[in-house]
Amino acid sequence: MNLLFLCVPFVGMLLCIAILPLIRGEWWENHRLHAVIFWSLLFAVPYGLLNGPAVSLETVLECLVNDYLTFIILLFGLFCVAGNITMSGDLAGSPRVNVGLLALGTLLSSWIGTTGASMLMVRPVLKMNSWRKRKRHIIVFFIFLVSNIGGCLTPIGDPPLLMGFMRGVPFFWSLHLAPVLLVNMVVLLFIFYQIDRRAYRRDIASGLHPDISKPGTEVKLRGAHNLIFLVMIVAAVILSGTLPSLPMFQDAEGNVLGLHIFGEVTLSWPAVLEIVIILLAAFLSFRTTDAGIRRENHFTWGAIEEVAVLFIGIFITMQPALMLLKACGASLGLTRPSEMFWATGMLSSFLDNTPTYLVFLTTAGSLGFADGMMTALGTIPLKVLMAISCGAVFMGANTYIGNAPNFMVKSIADENGVRMPSFFGYLLWSLCILVPVFALDTLIFFL
Amino acid sequence: MMNEEANKIKELAECIYDLDAEVYSQLGSSIGRVYTRDREHCVNEIERLLVTRSESKVIRSELALISNMARTIPDKQERKLVMTEYNRIIQAVSDLPDSFSSGDVINLEQARLNRFHLRNRFSDDDHMIICISWAYGSGGADIGFRLADRLKINFYDKEILEAVLKRLDAQKDLELIQASAKANPNDTARSHPEVLNLSEALRTDMPVTLRQRMREFSRYHGLPKQDAIFFNQSDLLCEMAKQEDFVIMGRCAKTVMTNNRIPHISIFISAPMEQRVRRIMEINSRLSVRQAQRMIRKADEEHRRYINFYTGGEWGHANNYDLCINSASYGIEGTVDFILGMIGDWKKKKQR
Repeated sequence: MNLLFLCVPFVGMLLCIAILPLIRGEWWENHRLHAVIFWSLLFAVPYGLLNGPAVSLETVLECLVNDYLTFIILLFGLFCVAGNITMSGDLAGSPRVNVGLLALGTLLSSWIGTTGASMLMVRPVLKMNSWRKRKRHIIVFFIFLVSNIGGCLTPIGDPPLLMGFMRGVPFFWSLHLAPVLLVNMVVLLFIFYQIDRRAYRRDIASGLHPDISKPGTEVKLRGAHNLIFLVMIVAAVILSGTLPSLPMFQDAEGNVLGLHIFGEVTLSWPAVLEIVIILLAAFLSFRTTDAGIRRENHFTWGAIEEVAVLFIGIFITMQPALMLLKACGASLGLTRPSEMFWATGMLSSFLDNTPTYLVFLTTAGSLGFADGMMTALGTIPLKVLMAISCGAVFMGANTYIGNAPNFMVKSIADENGVRMPSFFGYLLWSLCILVPVFALDTLIFFL
Repeated sequence: MMNEEANKIKELAECIYDLDAEVYSQLGSSIGRVYTRDREHCVNEIERLLVTRSESKVIRSELALISNMARTIPDKQERKLVMTEYNRIIQAVSDLPDSFSSGDVINLEQARLNRFHLRNRFSDDDHMIICISWAYGSGGADIGFRLADRLKINFYDKEILEAVLKRLDAQKDLELIQASAKANPNDTARSHPEVLNLSEALRTDMPVTLRQRMREFSRYHGLPKQDAIFFNQSDLLCEMAKQEDFVIMGRCAKTVMTNNRIPHISIFISAPMEQRVRRIMEINSRLSVRQAQRMIRKADEEHRRYINFYTGGEWGHANNYDLCINSASYGIEGTVDFILGMIGDWKKKKQR
């Protein structure tokens, strides 16, 4: 009951993100940090009163050090490196070019992560479509496909799958999700093509058209050496997932060694290594890239600053919801793949999808199934494992806060001449387009 | 609308455009620029939105986009200056009265482009552009051609425009190769896969292999070929409208002229089905009635699709034209006389 009550700050935080930019945009821009502090304290103080200040401090530090820090450093590193790569050229954003770009981004997501692919692809997409007026749907579908759904094929794609890999799911097992990805890609790209064609026609009808006066198309990639730093960051993420299981990073009891912070809060050495590598990559990227490229990319700190501030609040205030989920997850009575798919997905839409995935994986592992994939958490039927993985990865696309790159892409688009839908506006897009597609997934794969 | 108010709106529209340009020049990136077309066109468009108060939310959204960009200007002093101007504009926009309507049915924007109305607003520098759409079999092509002949001005239809475009493209290719060869003597046409030679450019039935598809993709900047042709035709029409008087058949010319604020006259020529069938059968005596009807319906459907795709408008709908004529009532020569009668002494006035 107390935990349920403590969820109020999380709901308040979400409502602030959803409503205040609409009704008091300028105020919200100046007072985001104050709102974050207010809602965080509204959780931490009552929680401290109920469980003691030390427990409250430990909870807050635990989520800041072990969840938020690595999350924001990864985002920061990818933001910096991708901002130093620019694609200039005169390829014009038309429905078929956009479908190609989204398909490329979706396939790339599994190999450089949804965040990496989003940061790398969002500016070229914006640039090619800069001649157009009606383009918000392009970014919405970009978030659906590149920032979320595309990340399901490997553990590099999305953090929940990395957690699964750390708990005994084979690295290439996620390739079993390829048919699901393919169905989603085909359906979503078809819908996108129809919507984009309509918007494209309206743009043409209003007299807009791209500059195609040159006889041929030239596409130039500048700052391409930054792809090395991108690989460096991806390697850092893989290391942070694989090193904790090595004996040299564990003590005698099997706990991962690290830097002691407070109480039981420890920043593990693999996480420290990940942070150092990512920051080094970002530093080298800045040192080796001409500032003109960043200028051409309209690189500013605004987007990362917005995400960094808002997600501190989201990470802190969602703790009671995650505790509630951990406490009640097993007693929800969910056993069928379709139930697992929707439960994991709906919660991943609003909560961090990594712990949500783990809760349902643990639940499935404890149900005593005889057939299926042997993991550190028990035997899990393949269909159930597929359902949990797809739910966690796909349904992060349902809201702006469902997955790290969503908000980042929205902020970059907002800064670059695209009027993105509000929190509820985006929710409407996902309700109308994604939910029917997920229902189709359920019918084909999870019944 | 009072003159003073009109001036005020014009000034405000210019300020909005200049603000966008200033933000763009401060940031040096064109990704987020709101008004990407030429100044005059954009200012006119903003003006229209300001006058049409029901569309004021569009202006608000556009101003919001400019401010989003402006807030990212790194130099604090410059950012402050830009934001002060932004606030002044926002205030001025919200101070505008709710309605400027005078109660006339006239569509000012359309009327301004139309020689039949407000004749005195036109300078003698404007060229006579007559855009003709027609229903297949109504004699529209003949009417257009004879009209051009009687007015002694140029006549363009789909085939002529395509040939002109192809020649221009081939010319551009040649310049590209020459420039490249100058810079690098070993460079040949082979180094430019997007370049076609003149005879290749003028071919209409090109075989479709993967290599050619790739070449076409590069040549048309990733756009479908027909869209790229439409864009090039639109540019060509606008360019020609600055230099000469002409009659243009189809090609969505009316919309292209309207979008680019070029004065023109738009005419739609139609005739009842029986007359159209009879005419088609007279021209092609081997056709049966049914075949002629099928041919007409097919051509109408193609016209309708083309117009709807590129203009969003409805082909043949009276609201979209200045003048709709049933050619069956006047005949080809009669229709030409009718149109000439309406244009009046334009040619003489021009010669004076």
